[in-house]
Amino acid sequence: MRYFYLLLTVLLFACDPQWRNDSRFMAYAPIYVSKEEANQIGAEAAKPTVLPGKIYAYGNYLFQVEQNHGIHIIDNSNPQQAHKISFLNVPAASELAVKSGFLYTNNLDDLVVFDISDINSPRLVNRVENAFPQISQEYPPLNGAYFECVDPSKGVVVGWEEKLIENPKCRR
Amino acid sequence: MKILNAEDKPTIMRKLLPIIAIFFLFGCDKSSSSDSSAYATGGGKGGSLARFTVVGDYLYTVDKQTLKVFDIADPSKPSLKRSVDAGFEIETIFPFKDKLFLGSTSVVYIFSIDDPSNPQKLSEAISPTVMRRCDPVVAKDNVAYSTLRTNGPCGGTTSVLAVYDITDIKNPVQKNAMPVGEPYGLGYSDTTLYVCDRRYGISVYNISKPYSPVFIKGVTTSSFPNFIDVIAYNTILICWTSTGIILYDISVPQNPTLIKQIS
Repeated sequence: MRYFYLLLTVLLFACDPQWRNDSRFMAYAPIYVSKEEANQIGAEAAKPTVLPGKIYAYGNYLFQVEQNHGIHIIDNSNPQQAHKISFLNVPAASELAVKSGFLYTNNLDDLVVFDISDINSPRLVNRVENAFPQISQEYPPLNGAYFECVDPSKGVVVGWEEKLIENPKCRR
Repeated sequence: MKILNAEDKPTIMRKLLPIIAIFFLFGCDKSSSSDSSAYATGGGKGGSLARFTVVGDYLYTVDKQTLKVFDIADPSKPSLKRSVDAGFEIETIFPFKDKLFLGSTSVVYIFSIDDPSNPQKLSEAISPTVMRRCDPVVAKDNVAYSTLRTNGPCGGTTSVLAVYDITDIKNPVQKNAMPVGEPYGLGYSDTTLYVCDRRYGISVYNISKPYSPVFIKGVTTSSFPNFIDVIAYNTILICWTSTGIILYDISVPQNPTLIKQIS
């Protein structure tokens, strides 16, 4: 009998979670940006970094993408006291580069240009629509992964997060 | 069934996989260690994982299959000059001298920008069998350093820092390989190489003898963030970490000292 319990214990631990009542498991969920959100663009007060993205150095300034949300602008003229000046809200931003006082980034699939010659008041000066249609992401980053199916009515998928999902239906 | 080990894949990394970063560094002399001709025309400096790069009067961008050329002679008015079918699953772009290196999930594409408005594909010279996918690379004169990472979708069996002779850029020859933890972006200042080794911090190497890097030490902070990419910028090392940005003083390149964390 003792061996039976032992065997039972082993069998219980061997169970795949899907065999139990809990049908949730780690899978990918799409991160959406709606078209309405996508248009809210411009400088805001500095705020904490949540999901740090790409970095860029230009003169006395540093820039760091807040993944899918915008760009932190940092004064680095004295590195000992480097500090955030502001946050440039650019929904779905993931990239940036700077030349001669102009900052290039992506707002969803558009290329947008900010005049940052006055770093305290960046101004949106230009937009090239649909420059990067492929930045939208139809699939999670890994092949073979389960994911929550995309609902286009919620907006454009700008990224994927991994979390516990109830019975994800899609798989790539 | 657990699809992925969540602890091993912090959110920040998910979008980055798979990564190929081509990070070519320029020149050997001290004065050029932070900037190169590519940046000498009003541009800044990006990391080794960028999809945008500025060379002269042009902004080059990559998105999966396409290399785009924007004329930014008037920097406020980018105008799309050309869209070039570049390859598949392009992840990164990096300029090296008169070439653009496009990293994809399977191969490195090399474009000539002799005519900057009209990039010409030269080759898929660095093949996956020599420098495999997901391999960030830095080059210094005739030497390239590449970190080969094995986790995620990149394959391979051991993570190493590899050293290549790139005298013939179309035919890199491996000269050396040393084990590392879990490497991502990398950068260099003078004769010091910085390799982001994710949760282990930055690995600092002496590359005075370019084909034989010597590990000096690992650098991290008490909170042990993940280190993802670096920019060596004058006497400052700018690190992209899972907590934001961490700045190190590299006045003495082989001895980075913590200046500031920005999160």
